[in-house]
Amino acid sequence: MGWELEGMSLDLEVELAGLRLRNPTVLASGILGSSYSLMKRVEEAGAGAITTKTITWEPREGYQNPVFVDLGFGYLNAMGLPNPGMAAFKTELKKAAENIRTPMIASIGGGDEGEFMKVAEHALEAGCDGLELNLSCPHVSGYGLEIGSDLQLTCRIIGAVRSVSSKPVFAKISIHQARPDVVSRYLGSGADGITAINTIRAAAISPESMTPILSNIFGGLSGPCIRPITVAVVYEIRREFPDAPIIGMGGVDGWRAALELILAGANAVGVGSAIARRDLDIFGEIIEGLRRFLTGKDFKSIKELVGYAQRL
Amino acid sequence: MSYRVGKITNIRSPTNSIKEYEIILEDPIEPEPGQFAMLWIPRVGEIPLSFADAEGEYIKFIVARVGKVTSRMHDGLAIDDRVFIRGPLGRGFRQVSGGRVLLVAGGYGLAPLYFLAKRLKADGCGVKALLGFKSDEDIFHQEEFGRFGEVEVSVEHGLSGYRGTVLDLFRGMVRSGSFDKVYVCGKEELNLAVSRECLRVGVPVEASFERIIKCGAGICGSCSIEPLGLRVCKDGPILGGEAIAPILEADES
Repeated sequence: MGWELEGMSLDLEVELAGLRLRNPTVLASGILGSSYSLMKRVEEAGAGAITTKTITWEPREGYQNPVFVDLGFGYLNAMGLPNPGMAAFKTELKKAAENIRTPMIASIGGGDEGEFMKVAEHALEAGCDGLELNLSCPHVSGYGLEIGSDLQLTCRIIGAVRSVSSKPVFAKISIHQARPDVVSRYLGSGADGITAINTIRAAAISPESMTPILSNIFGGLSGPCIRPITVAVVYEIRREFPDAPIIGMGGVDGWRAALELILAGANAVGVGSAIARRDLDIFGEIIEGLRRFLTGKDFKSIKELVGYAQRL
Repeated sequence: MSYRVGKITNIRSPTNSIKEYEIILEDPIEPEPGQFAMLWIPRVGEIPLSFADAEGEYIKFIVARVGKVTSRMHDGLAIDDRVFIRGPLGRGFRQVSGGRVLLVAGGYGLAPLYFLAKRLKADGCGVKALLGFKSDEDIFHQEEFGRFGEVEVSVEHGLSGYRGTVLDLFRGMVRSGSFDKVYVCGKEELNLAVSRECLRVGVPVEASFERIIKCGAGICGSCSIEPLGLRVCKDGPILGGEAIAPILEADES
């Protein structure tokens, strides 16, 4: 059970913009975080924090199948931000806030400042411990990356959410926003931390059918194939912003990959589509692997390894 | 694992609303009864279908006309057409070897149970199948099940077999206490009612559940069943009595 892990894992505890995580693993947004019962299972599997599926004000049905392709070397998905809307989601968030001890970060989606603010206020009211702004979903018109591509608008959104939030606010970015000048503006506008990176806009075509596979044609690429990109982005943000809280994600499929992102500079590590192959056991595997790695070394805590690869 | 290509070798229409598709894949797969595949029709959509049979490269699906993809299959697919499959996915039935088993099917829910009956018979089980239909003209697969054991048919409106629901037929039978395991596949009400009865009389039971399946990989959460957050595509579609008990509790409260 999850909480038995906790007692043994002080060496893995991390601090993330004021949140205390029993270990550095974080359930990535879009994966299973759509109901209290699923989030509870993720907590029991050992996750250090849980990010909800992106919540919008109005319900969204999402795209028609196919929405997911296992490419072998990675995954492609275009779910289309399906969620029941804030009103219905709030019931689940409240139940989760009451019964789940693992920090819960609400992923917020919106088409403008007003929607982001409204959803954020309700998520906080429901008891979420932090907010993550989805500024980077690569395949939904009017949301995510389409918002995130407009720097002025994005900074206004971050500022607006900051002004209503007493809890930490993370800006989730894509590879396209992963430039020091952009990150600097996000942090300057009120983001407490950065989640990097979202999936990368991508498509797949079946040579047999000679058609795109995803019903939306375009989706987001995740999995081991994007990990080197994640490592570079996290490394660079850590180098330029030594104190910024960073949740690194993109291609974490085991403890070695998690450690790689931590060594690059991530305080915590997101786990997402790897669940397709490893199921929820992956949290326990990462936790055990990191603990084994620390055992017999001079490091007392995983925190000492954050950005360690940058020491020359 | 992207899609496997399959070629349709035979299509039968046992009733007005049901079609059976026999397909030969490019390479063999080894699904267990109860597992499913996602079948993709390019530019139309992708749906989950239980394996109704499988051996080597050969697979069979039983498809009722219920939505866009199944309608397109019924109206548009012909012999020699190609289909695209990913799978097998999910957890199948846990099979007993030996003993007497009772299969309870609601309508085209008989699909995975037919595949199961074949395997159970091969493993030396005594198989009895209860097939429930609305009316006489909906009856199908009765003879096919007969190859693997006893069959009884129920119709709600008609003259064939038992007159009533398959649930009523089942209730009369399970109390006799002569079955070592019950397998059920039908609408959720049937699954739950049969499971409730089995839990009460202490007979092991497994049921095949259905939800809208999207990713099929256990990550999107769209097929989860409350209250425990069990994913039909990964933890199911076959759930045993232990997993069903909390669903029954939630259903009653």
